[in-house]
Amino acid sequence: MTALLATEHLTMRFGGVVAVDDVDLNVADGELRCLIGPNGAGKSTLFKCLTGQIKPSAGRILWRGRDITGLESFEIARLGVGIKTQVPSLFDGLTVLESVRLALRREARERVARARAMATLEQLGIADLAQHATALLAHGQRQLVELAMVVAPAPDLIILDEPTAGMSAEETARAAHVIRALNASHAIIVVEHDMPFIRAIAKKVTVLHQGRVLMEDDVASVLADRRVQDVYLGKAADASLKVIA
Amino acid sequence: MKFLIEIAGASVVVIAAILVLPRFLELFALINATVYISMAVLALSLALVWGFGGILCFGQAAFFGLGGYSYAVAAINFGDTTYAIPVAIAVPALMAAALGYVMFYGRISDVYMGAITLTLTLILFNFVNSTAGDQWRIGAAPLGGFNGIPSTPPLNLPGDPGNPLPPESIFAIAAISLLLCYILAKFILRARFGRVIVAIRENERRAELLGYDARAYKLGIFVIGGAMAGLSGMLFANCVFVSPTMFSLFYSGQIIIWVMVGGLGTLVGPVIGAILLNFFTTWAGTLPDINPSLILGAILMLAVLVVPRGVLPSLTTLLGRLRGAGDAPGDAA
Repeated sequence: MTALLATEHLTMRFGGVVAVDDVDLNVADGELRCLIGPNGAGKSTLFKCLTGQIKPSAGRILWRGRDITGLESFEIARLGVGIKTQVPSLFDGLTVLESVRLALRREARERVARARAMATLEQLGIADLAQHATALLAHGQRQLVELAMVVAPAPDLIILDEPTAGMSAEETARAAHVIRALNASHAIIVVEHDMPFIRAIAKKVTVLHQGRVLMEDDVASVLADRRVQDVYLGKAADASLKVIA
Repeated sequence: MKFLIEIAGASVVVIAAILVLPRFLELFALINATVYISMAVLALSLALVWGFGGILCFGQAAFFGLGGYSYAVAAINFGDTTYAIPVAIAVPALMAAALGYVMFYGRISDVYMGAITLTLTLILFNFVNSTAGDQWRIGAAPLGGFNGIPSTPPLNLPGDPGNPLPPESIFAIAAISLLLCYILAKFILRARFGRVIVAIRENERRAELLGYDARAYKLGIFVIGGAMAGLSGMLFANCVFVSPTMFSLFYSGQIIIWVMVGGLGTLVGPVIGAILLNFFTTWAGTLPDINPSLILGAILMLAVLVVPRGVLPSLTTLLGRLRGAGDAPGDAA
């Protein structure tokens, strides 16, 4: 079966630095995949490549088998990819309802669009914020508004960049719950480095280290792996690299 | 509802001005009023591009000047001025399309965009300034260099080039043009196109992540702004005549001041700003021993200090507060 999203030998160089190095990734329809790695592992660069914010130096990105390398962000979004950034990226001058309505780009009928936007807000439990100005919301509410904008058009794939950044342990647990629920109807890629969160999600995990895929397995095996522990604790990183090489 | 009330209100004001002002104003004052209205159209064009599109364009004067020159050259060549009007709108719109394509599709950042638009204005200013002499003519129209084209013909009734319209009619045409531009702007902002434009102003990356091609939308609003500025240049050419000063730094800077003082992010604010500031500048010009630019500068500094969001938004807030304060005791009782 063709993967929903795949990368082949994806590489991104910044001058002499190879931030993403020959990464092969396969995400199937309906899958929930965690992409983890310590700081500097290349997670954010990979995220930017996948979302069209930067063009990879080499390799290909495939969407249902079709080459989408080098497409603009808006073209990738139009394929049916919902993207949530690390710091909530919102329309501060607009109301919550108007923001979510704009997310329903393909729905030209105003009444239908507003009804669908309201339904999404209700699903996420923030219907009471509909008429609020986005700029005045608290951080947690802003996260939910952005999520509403991402989910509203019913994308096939959702890519989340560090969704738990700046969250308390309790909020992190709730976010994991929300993401698992979303997985019922969307494939999801989560870029994250918070281990308790990964444990709570408990699905297939791809570990990045120094731009390369260190290992890819279910969460229990990944957490039990010696190399992953070394990478995260910063011990014997060189030795673990030799193992891969 | 609010939408219709605002359009109806603007229509009443414009119709009243057309009916009343020509009776009371002397000819010179009426022509001046027409100039102010052409400036108001220019301010409205930047209000759209900058206030709603978020594109700080220092080159609105370039489209203004191009509109004026296109009108003058086309009118002299055609004989009949009627068909010169679409030319005056189309030429700046095409220029805006070409420039906007390079800027937006080249993903040029805001700071450079300001520099590029300003440079375009200055290039045109220097170019037109150096077109003195008989070798610089387009068809029957000499460009006239520093002197401009003093023979810029005023509008005539369609098909009747022998009968130029009197200043009262030109005033009415300018006022109706302003009203139509305002209504057009209102409709644009209410439509999906305008709402996406505002969303892009608020957060371009988010808009792109939702699947909107920000480049195309920005190009769209930039071209509309260029066309509107061209129309204002055509109106201006009908009151005075076209000359290189239309492309000057003086105009490029002033348009931004009108929009800022009137209220960025509003339509009526910049219109009022343009009319009032032009009125002040003209009035200050009649005062002995004082430089009108000094007064304009003082007004700008005062505006930035006292009403940083512009006159109109501050007034609206103030009125809202007064009304709120007035309502409160009533609610208690």
